[in-house]
Amino acid sequence: MSTISLLEWIESTELSTAIREGALYYPIIGGVHLLGIALFGGMLLMTDLRLLGWAMQLRPVSDIVRQFRWWKRAGFVIVTGSGLLLGWCEPLKLYRSPAFWVKMALLAMVGVHALVFRARVYGDPAKLDTAVTNEAKLAASLSLFLWAGLIISGRLIAFDS
Amino acid sequence: MQAASFFEWLTTSSWANAMNGPEWAFPVVESLHFIGFAFSIGTIAIIDLRLLGLAMRDHTAAELAADLNRWTLAGFALMLITGPLMFSADAVRYHVNPSFQFKMICLLVAFLFHFTIHRKVTQAEISPFAAKLAGGLSLALWTAVIAGGRMIAFV
Repeated sequence: MSTISLLEWIESTELSTAIREGALYYPIIGGVHLLGIALFGGMLLMTDLRLLGWAMQLRPVSDIVRQFRWWKRAGFVIVTGSGLLLGWCEPLKLYRSPAFWVKMALLAMVGVHALVFRARVYGDPAKLDTAVTNEAKLAASLSLFLWAGLIISGRLIAFDS
Repeated sequence: MQAASFFEWLTTSSWANAMNGPEWAFPVVESLHFIGFAFSIGTIAIIDLRLLGLAMRDHTAAELAADLNRWTLAGFALMLITGPLMFSADAVRYHVNPSFQFKMICLLVAFLFHFTIHRKVTQAEISPFAAKLAGGLSLALWTAVIAGGRMIAFV
């Protein structure tokens, strides 16, 4: 099966049609996507800014990383889950959108970031309580750039015609 | 000057021209708006989840508020610069958009709540029930602001 016919099949599914044609599904799912960014983006920002020494300096790094961990994971599930649904309703448009492919490349880099840094930085935060390593600061800076890039490329998708 | 002519003037201002110029202008400003509310609403949500007793239980709400306040305010600043810029791009239509009006009312109430009751509650010793009520209300208000904002494009 070619890619295009796979995308055409996705677009012909009941779920895809319902989200596309129902008046409320698309804005509600888009709202959940945004709400996930608003409610959990703050924790991601504060974790990375703590590693950089710019926010919450009075609290140990391990406290911040540990207490936000599960909330950030929940947020990631909500944002990617709602994002998948948004993509499911117009796969052909996304396939032709340069901004979408930039976003997917950034998302792949988020995966690489996790493979490289999760165990070494976020998995053992107690060792950062005495001094934040340069590696941890690099991880935090890259995370902030990837996150901002995901938001900007995501927003540009709507303006790719 | 009449309100209607104010919005007409705004739509033809140089701000609006810049927003309506290059096609990347609006989405980039909109992205900065999102980053702004991740800072502001995101840090408020951390405090709200603490008030609800769900997150950051190793710290008091007062400690968290002291840590996070500057980031909340920075987020507000970014939101309040980028929001009016987007509004100016099509002020004549936005100001009569029911979703926009709903969002502005919720935003006003959310700001008033944030700088009065919410601030008091995070600083004072209060009953767990009152803390939960304030945390829940704050989350609900900011959720309504986001939902109202999202719906502007669909109404």
